[in-house]
Amino acid sequence: MENIDFNQILSIAIYGSAVGLILIGLYAVLMKKHLTKIIIGLSIIDAGIHLLFIAIGYISNGTSPIFSEKGISLVSEGTKMVDPVPQALVLTAIVIGFGVTAVALSLVIRLYRHHQTARIDQIKTLKW
Amino acid sequence: MGGAILAYLAKRITPMLSSIVSFLAISSAAVVFFTMTSSTDVVTVSVRNFTLQFGLNAYSWVFAAMVMGISALVSLYNIAYMSGKDRLGYFNLNFTLAIMSMMGIVFANDWISFFIFWEIMTWSSFLIVVYNGIDEGKIGTKYMIFSAVGGYAMLMAIVITNSQIDSFLIADLINAYPTFGHGMQAMIGILFLIGFSVKAAVMPLHVWAPRAYSDSPMSFTAIFSGLLSKMGIFGMAIMFISVFSKASIGDTFIYSQVIAWLGGVTAVMATFYAVIQKDAKRLLAYSSIAQLGYIVTGLAIGTKLSVMSALFLAVIHALYKGILFMAVGAVERQAGSTNLEQLGALIRKMPWTFFSALIAAIALAGIPPLGGFVGKWMLYESMITSTNPSHLFLVILIFLSSTAAFLYVYRLLFGLFLGQEEPEWDHVKEAPAPMVIPMVLMALTLILLGYAPGLLFEPIANGMEFLGFENVGWQMSSLSNIWGDTVDMQYVWGSVVTLFVLGAIFITIKNRKSTRYVTTKDIHTSGEIPEAHENLTYAVDFYKPFERAIEPVMRKTMDFYYNHFGNGLESLFGFVRKIYTGNGQTYAMYVVIFLVILLLIGEQIFK
Amino acid sequence: MVVSPVHFIAVPLLAAFLMPILAKVNKNLLRIVPGIVLTYLGYVSVVLMNRVATEGTIIEVLAGWSAPWGINLVYTPFTGFLATLMIAMSFLIWLYSFKFKKVDDEPALKYFILQLMLTTGSVGLVLTGDIFNFFVFMEIIALSSYALTAFYRDRNGAEAAFKYLLIGAFASTLFLLAIVLLYSQVGTLNMAEISVRMHDVPTSMKVSILVLFLVGIGIEAEMFPLNGWAPDAYSQAPSPVGVAFAALVVKAGVYGLVRITYTLFGIEGSGIGPFLIIMGGITLVMAEITALKQTSLKRMLAYSSIGQMGFVLIAFGIGTHEAVFGAIFLMFNHAIIKGLLFMSGSYLVYNTPNKEIKYLSGYGMKMPVISLFFSLGALAIVGLPPFAGFWSKLYILLAAADGALYGLIALILVVSIIEIVYYFRVVGRLYFGKPAEGSIMRKPTVGGMIAMSILAIAILVVGFYPDIITGYIDAAASSILNTDEYIKNALGAVNELTPVENIIQ
Repeated sequence: MENIDFNQILSIAIYGSAVGLILIGLYAVLMKKHLTKIIIGLSIIDAGIHLLFIAIGYISNGTSPIFSEKGISLVSEGTKMVDPVPQALVLTAIVIGFGVTAVALSLVIRLYRHHQTARIDQIKTLKW
Repeated sequence: MGGAILAYLAKRITPMLSSIVSFLAISSAAVVFFTMTSSTDVVTVSVRNFTLQFGLNAYSWVFAAMVMGISALVSLYNIAYMSGKDRLGYFNLNFTLAIMSMMGIVFANDWISFFIFWEIMTWSSFLIVVYNGIDEGKIGTKYMIFSAVGGYAMLMAIVITNSQIDSFLIADLINAYPTFGHGMQAMIGILFLIGFSVKAAVMPLHVWAPRAYSDSPMSFTAIFSGLLSKMGIFGMAIMFISVFSKASIGDTFIYSQVIAWLGGVTAVMATFYAVIQKDAKRLLAYSSIAQLGYIVTGLAIGTKLSVMSALFLAVIHALYKGILFMAVGAVERQAGSTNLEQLGALIRKMPWTFFSALIAAIALAGIPPLGGFVGKWMLYESMITSTNPSHLFLVILIFLSSTAAFLYVYRLLFGLFLGQEEPEWDHVKEAPAPMVIPMVLMALTLILLGYAPGLLFEPIANGMEFLGFENVGWQMSSLSNIWGDTVDMQYVWGSVVTLFVLGAIFITIKNRKSTRYVTTKDIHTSGEIPEAHENLTYAVDFYKPFERAIEPVMRKTMDFYYNHFGNGLESLFGFVRKIYTGNGQTYAMYVVIFLVILLLIGEQIFK
Repeated sequence: MVVSPVHFIAVPLLAAFLMPILAKVNKNLLRIVPGIVLTYLGYVSVVLMNRVATEGTIIEVLAGWSAPWGINLVYTPFTGFLATLMIAMSFLIWLYSFKFKKVDDEPALKYFILQLMLTTGSVGLVLTGDIFNFFVFMEIIALSSYALTAFYRDRNGAEAAFKYLLIGAFASTLFLLAIVLLYSQVGTLNMAEISVRMHDVPTSMKVSILVLFLVGIGIEAEMFPLNGWAPDAYSQAPSPVGVAFAALVVKAGVYGLVRITYTLFGIEGSGIGPFLIIMGGITLVMAEITALKQTSLKRMLAYSSIGQMGFVLIAFGIGTHEAVFGAIFLMFNHAIIKGLLFMSGSYLVYNTPNKEIKYLSGYGMKMPVISLFFSLGALAIVGLPPFAGFWSKLYILLAAADGALYGLIALILVVSIIEIVYYFRVVGRLYFGKPAEGSIMRKPTVGGMIAMSILAIAILVVGFYPDIITGYIDAAASSILNTDEYIKNALGAVNELTPVENIIQ
């Protein structure tokens, strides 16, 4: 059937792009020398993991997970429900990632003022 | 008994703010100790799942008495010696702690409390060694490293023992030792012996001792060399006599022989070093190591006679080395120097100090009629009569070192007290009474023990019976040998003293008129009058020929190898720490590499 | 008011966010509020410790959703012990830094807020029973630590903070990834329930999750190849923060490692034990030999801290009751002793260039009390009797001997000798040599003196009378080892739904 194929392709695409994002981010963090690029790399890794998380909770043709007052799903019996937990968690994780990025960028500004450079291999006053 | 121990433990743990308080604490403890009849009460303190036990037995009584008696006297000396110096609180706290911990060691019935007090002793003495602040802490560090090696070897032995027999009691180890496997016996035995050998300054582990002894304040060195090192002897005796002897002979024989030879070598080498020293303190420090060598040898041979002689020498050594260090300390305090090549002719200025030092030196050199002679006599005899032929070679070593000991003792006495007078030392006066009294008292004790060694044989014999010997015989004032001859000390004593007194009277009468006190500058060499800066004291290059003879042996010291080893390690460490490059990205790389490695081999490690 | 574990998180968090407003009212409130909060928390933890001792584990369900759906706080003897320790240490840090920031003219507001956040995060991480919540608290700790590390503008704080952030971001990423994979396998985030369902997870997936967790949390626990951030952060952060790192952050990291390995995966026969022993051993050796060559006092203390954590890992790796007892004891000792060392050490090097040890000659005369505290700490941390450090070392060695790990004992003792060398170098230097002329001594604040005295007394008391603490540690050790009990308690709360109102009261 046409539909199932599409879903398979979609899931492969999602998982693939998640892994791809993680690898790209890893490359940026490990290879790029510029502090800002490293931070961007970290954000990309985060994005990849968030995508992966969402993909795990996703069920094709699922409905939104909303409960009524009595604890019964609003949607009719027999339809599948998307797992709500990953979505909630990803929201939290995005917020945390945002905070970390903000702190990191402020540190970069401080470092640049202090060292007149933003290359990580030149900021090595503390070692051994 | 238990209450008394706790009372003075508690009393001494509190910081002592002055020497007087510390003296009072120690001497009151000594009074408590000596008035106590040797009761067998045991004090137990329980900590979580094991109990610490303290108690006194016949063997530890010998050491406890020695520690208490001598440290009470030394702490009296300490009052005057330390007066006017900085940080008395710091010094006296550690001084008292060290003495307290020695009592703790002696009283300990289990290895844990033994170790606890052992380590307290180590660090408190370390803090005293650095007190004078000489040589940027190298001496202290060296002392601490060696002590730590010894202490931790012991700790390892203790925990392994516990894993085997589930008990920390010394008595349990003694009983269970024969049941251990061969490897286990060897491991525990060797580890314990390393632990004790460090404190007893046996040869390859001795390098900390000379400087640590000579650079501490003298009032502590008297304790350090006289008593602290004896704690190593204390432990060693337990190992050799109680523990090893219960095992089958073949297994442990080899350790005893190795240690006996090490002791012999220590005695000879340290004596040689002592002879070539130019500083009185350094000389005495090496001499201590040499004397400990005899004691170790005596213990390691392990016959009834040799052990008795070793323990006897241990006590005597504490006495005479205490006197000598105190005398040198008195000279140092009064004259401001301990250099044998500069000092001289202090005999008229410090007669009492000279008298005690003379007695101590006689005892050290093993000249009859004093105690040192008795101990050495028994040691020789035990080795000559030993069934093991190699001991005949050992006796040669010991004899060699004993003879060489004459040389340095003479140099010491001569360098400090005899020779011509120098105007430089005119201001020197006799040390104050609190310093003189302990020295003289200890010298009198030495004479007494020479006259009647049996006074000391009695507790030692009791102690040895406790350790596992049977029927240890002793006589009040005579030595007997296996050939049936008996040497009566009273006769020896009487004749020597008579000769000495007669000789002295003769010399005094003969020379009374013609005696003229001269200084070194009061001479003429080929018509030239020596310049003031030329050091013409007799003691300069005193044993030049001897030094030349032994020079090849001395060139490379153990110290040299240790230093190289230490430097090598340090540079290795310096290289290793380069791993922390300071580059954040490198650290991130480590994380990723570690992660990848773990992911790859994870299935092999984790099931 | 009913005391409950939730106060540990709610009260300081609330206070932290209220503080900017309070500061507007009165500047001094800023300094006083954290003290009040921590005192209250101290009271709560004492009450709860007693309750837990008589009634057993306390479960607190948040927001009415019971386990395994909701988030719960699990107050066992083990977590309670750590939480109490952390709060006590935070209180002392507050005491120590009460006046500190006034002199330095740095924004005290930020400092106290961040310290409170750090405390919240650490205590929350220890108490939570939910793996994602665990992650959130880890991030709270991390964020406040980054900011605190970079607190001083004139030092190299920013550099240290950036390295910390880079590695810390890795930690959280890997941890999150592990949670994702775990959730995809077991479909729950409750740690007790994960533990139950862990048997059904295929081995390869289980190993991957474990590895991600180990690396992620290993970064916080300063395991060897992952600890590059630690010495920089310790040495550049303000000294009370250094204490907080040693007493709170690392402890939280080690707790996480233990909770994950012991409860989630199970330590017996899983190969985790030997792994922890090996990694702990490498950490210990590397850290101590690096510490030996340090010239800066604070870096030396930092490496020593790492080494101690390696030692803790070894003990947890052995995994017997005796070893775990020793490990928890060591965690306790390390917190108080390293706290004392950092506090006194920072006064010693306050005015020396680069915090270098070589300028410390003769400080024993100039700052006698501080030097005495430092020496006491040094003697205690290397495990010399009769101080606190000795007992924990002894118990760990006994456990190693019972497991016939003789090589390990020898390794630990050899490393201890290195440790002795570098600590005694400093102590020796303090007490000999002529002090350099003209260096200005920093007079310790009253609060600082009180805090240090309390720690010193604690070291002595625990050293002379360890039984004062061993009862709690024994209970803690049993509780971490007994996974079934944990699961039963944590999931048992399902049956007795706690209404939302109960918590609000």
